[in-house]
Amino acid sequence: MATAASAPPPALTFPRPIFAAVSPHPFLQAHLSASKTAVRANGRAAHEFRAPGVNTGSLTHCNGSAVVRLGNTSVVCGVRAEILKEEDTPGTSSPAAVNANGDVEGDEDAGAEDEVETLRLLVPNVELSTGSTPAHIPGNAPSTFAQSLITRIRSLLHSTRLLRARDLRITYTPTTNPEDPEAAPETESKGYWVLYLDVFFISIDGNAFDATWLSILAALKNTRLPHAYFDEECEGILCSDDPSEARTLQLRGLPVSSSFAVFEGRGEGDGETGGEWVLSDPDAFEEGVCRETVTVTVDRGVIRRVEKSGGGVVGRETMKALVKRATERWAVVEGAVSGRP
Amino acid sequence: MATNTDRRRNNPPSGGTHAPVFARTLREPEYLQTLRPTRTRGPNELRRIFLQTSIIPSASGSAYLEIPSSSANSSSTLIPPTSSLKITASIQGPKPLPRSAPFSPSLLLTTTVKFAPFATRHRRGYIRDNTERDLGVHLETALRAVIIGERWPKSGVEVVVTILEGDEDGWWGDAHASGSGWGLLNVLAGCITVASAAITDAGIDCVDMVCGGVAAIIRNPDSRDEEDLVRVLDPCPAEHKQVVAACAVGYLASRDEVTEIWMKGDVGPDPDALIEGATHASVGSLAVVKEVLLEALQAKFQGQIESSQGAQKRKAQDVEMTG
Repeated sequence: MATAASAPPPALTFPRPIFAAVSPHPFLQAHLSASKTAVRANGRAAHEFRAPGVNTGSLTHCNGSAVVRLGNTSVVCGVRAEILKEEDTPGTSSPAAVNANGDVEGDEDAGAEDEVETLRLLVPNVELSTGSTPAHIPGNAPSTFAQSLITRIRSLLHSTRLLRARDLRITYTPTTNPEDPEAAPETESKGYWVLYLDVFFISIDGNAFDATWLSILAALKNTRLPHAYFDEECEGILCSDDPSEARTLQLRGLPVSSSFAVFEGRGEGDGETGGEWVLSDPDAFEEGVCRETVTVTVDRGVIRRVEKSGGGVVGRETMKALVKRATERWAVVEGAVSGRP
Repeated sequence: MATNTDRRRNNPPSGGTHAPVFARTLREPEYLQTLRPTRTRGPNELRRIFLQTSIIPSASGSAYLEIPSSSANSSSTLIPPTSSLKITASIQGPKPLPRSAPFSPSLLLTTTVKFAPFATRHRRGYIRDNTERDLGVHLETALRAVIIGERWPKSGVEVVVTILEGDEDGWWGDAHASGSGWGLLNVLAGCITVASAAITDAGIDCVDMVCGGVAAIIRNPDSRDEEDLVRVLDPCPAEHKQVVAACAVGYLASRDEVTEIWMKGDVGPDPDALIEGATHASVGSLAVVKEVLLEALQAKFQGQIESSQGAQKRKAQDVEMTG
């Protein structure tokens, strides 16, 4: 399509933005198949991600918060902790089972981890209708895209088992055992911290999933829960406002997601196919012309989750390369989240 | 909020959750009083304002306003003393109305104001409540009179304001403070200023810049007399024990017109002084807005000149499309 070899008719030229708006697909293809400088329309190479910018702790009323920027995509995440009393939990978790695992040592037990999911101790929500993009106008119910985004985030939170149940549990050990004064008192669970993860998009320019996940990670790392204890005198859970007693959350690793979009070029005639490009960290314009997407979540070289939909271009070899790209990306994101430049 | 189940979002546990209660605030009332913030500014001094425009590339205009908390966050407690004000505004449009819409000779303005769930000390829901609708209507009145709507027949514009952090109604330790609504006046003034900056950024024709300002009448904390009242500009409700009356205006400085007044409380015999104070406050914020907009405009034109100079060079590099 670009630069035809044989005697080209007078070329029709447009300014860039109009060309992009009128025929987005040939516009991107022309960019990618330019022989000398094959860059995407946004000036990045095909395998290049946008540099993440992370700023934590800027919201007053949150236990942890983060503002994350990926190019023109910017998002705010606030983590807010509230208390769920033991008597308010539905009967699904038998108190006996909780008591057995109430000890700190029982943490790696798989059975105890289900508490986070069954009791819904994590409540992630994403709001796109903040004027962040013309496609999501407020006043309507969350769109399908927003709902699927929340569901994917929630399932990733649970499947990576990012949070430890013991961080969220509020336990109480009475001074004496009421039934048998001689025996050691039993630790009982009195409640849980529930973490509300609210993600607000300020601006969307593609790759909403990675931005959301990155902001949640950064905000969770920034979260400090006050020391909570059961008070016998008022028979309720009280907290200490002393910052030195507050705890941070012990996350299990740092799974980082990387999204890719596959751009399929169109051939000149029938049956002929153009090239294929796998674009890292697509922006909104590229998402508009790509159908196949891949999201790879890795944690220090270990694959935690792979999601792929929409087409059949990415095969075994390409997937291998994508995992490699995601692993390289992990180091960059890890540096940004832990505050190193 | 347990009963409020929304099937399109993730809901909290059905048993309901409670905000944490801090032990020392219950047990030691003296300690509680040491946390009370006080106003360190003069009565006519405004808080600092940070404003930035063009933060959302996909919107035709946008702006971000931040008024940082004046009392420093103490490091000895986890309870934040006061909150700051952080608002974003985004303009979508003007764009043509759908075919099904009836004919409109002028621009249709729609304003939406939404608090983020983490904007206030008590967690808010995702579904818009009455306070937010009310703020939206007030904002619309303030903006409608400024926009020259006749230049866009059959089109509509969306003004979307998101409050990431809002001023509080009073100090959290005072039981009577919550629900009094003093903080909403500050939020409204902020919304007016930021929306107006975003509209200017979008290049929608206006008769003037509208700016929000707040003034309040408070009991003088230094005097014993109950009747000793002071007028302050840009009040932070958490810093004052007793606010008697407050007023927010949307004010056009160069035309000396007021497009919106919201007054609350026991104003007394002379409401003009309070309104006058609020307009002074709005003139103060206008100075900042003007500066920022001029700078943004300068940067924009600088960029345009450079790009038009570079266009000739770039033409050779542009990818040609034939056939």
